[in-house]
Amino acid sequence: MGAAAELFALHSYDGTSVDDLVNHLGVHRGSLYKTFGSKRGLYLRALHRHVDDDVAALARAVAGAEDQAQAVGLVLAAGPRLGLLFHAMVERAPVDPAAAAETTRALALLDAATGAEGLTALALGQLLRRRGTGAMPQQREGESSWHTSASPVTT
Amino acid sequence: MAHVSIAGDDLIVEVEGLDKLWALKSRLTVPLANVRGATADPGIVREPKGVRSPGTHVPGVIVAGSFYTEGERVFWDVRDRDKAIVIELGDEKYARLVIEVDDPKETVDMIEKAVQHRHS
Repeated sequence: MGAAAELFALHSYDGTSVDDLVNHLGVHRGSLYKTFGSKRGLYLRALHRHVDDDVAALARAVAGAEDQAQAVGLVLAAGPRLGLLFHAMVERAPVDPAAAAETTRALALLDAATGAEGLTALALGQLLRRRGTGAMPQQREGESSWHTSASPVTT
Repeated sequence: MAHVSIAGDDLIVEVEGLDKLWALKSRLTVPLANVRGATADPGIVREPKGVRSPGTHVPGVIVAGSFYTEGERVFWDVRDRDKAIVIELGDEKYARLVIEVDDPKETVDMIEKAVQHRHS
């Protein structure tokens, strides 16, 4: 599941073929379909888990931030792990209500942590700027987001 | 070539034209409750298909009929791999259908919309 999430985070949903998934996950096509029903089924599971794990961990860290600058800094630091969320917000949420439900859930987690929609928007806007200028390297394959602690705050 | 539609609570797959001769059965009706998802998957045509049961296979030209692979029965009707889609089924005679449709993206979206994915 982590390997699938990385592929979708790097190459987007449409940019990831079943061939890519089968090759990188090392599973039979038949068992991929049997387990997830479809590529979209696998994608939604990966996105759900991304929100549960990576976004929720970031939200916990942000909730413990001492001030707004630190909160924004934490979101920026987590940027390379948020490729799946960004792609989902831009590519899938507008056309897939199930994906939109997940990205909405992610934003609600961040809003609860920052205490203000405006601050979430500022932090995500800064992230988007970094991605837009090429200053935000995406997570590379092999750097599994599922095994990385997303709790940079020491309290 | 196959045509896929949804009527009420059923997914209907009609195999059109000459392919009827090859694939034996020209119309499949599956309750949507037994449809687990659909995916555009051109690459599946290069996969081993397993042992063919009645139907026919003209190498390199047509893949049609039902095949057994890894204990599963899979229905195939594909000529143009770029238009191949996979429909995954549950509690049905066929584990999945691999068929060619005119508009893979639209057909897949239509089926996926009708199918609820659970997050367990």
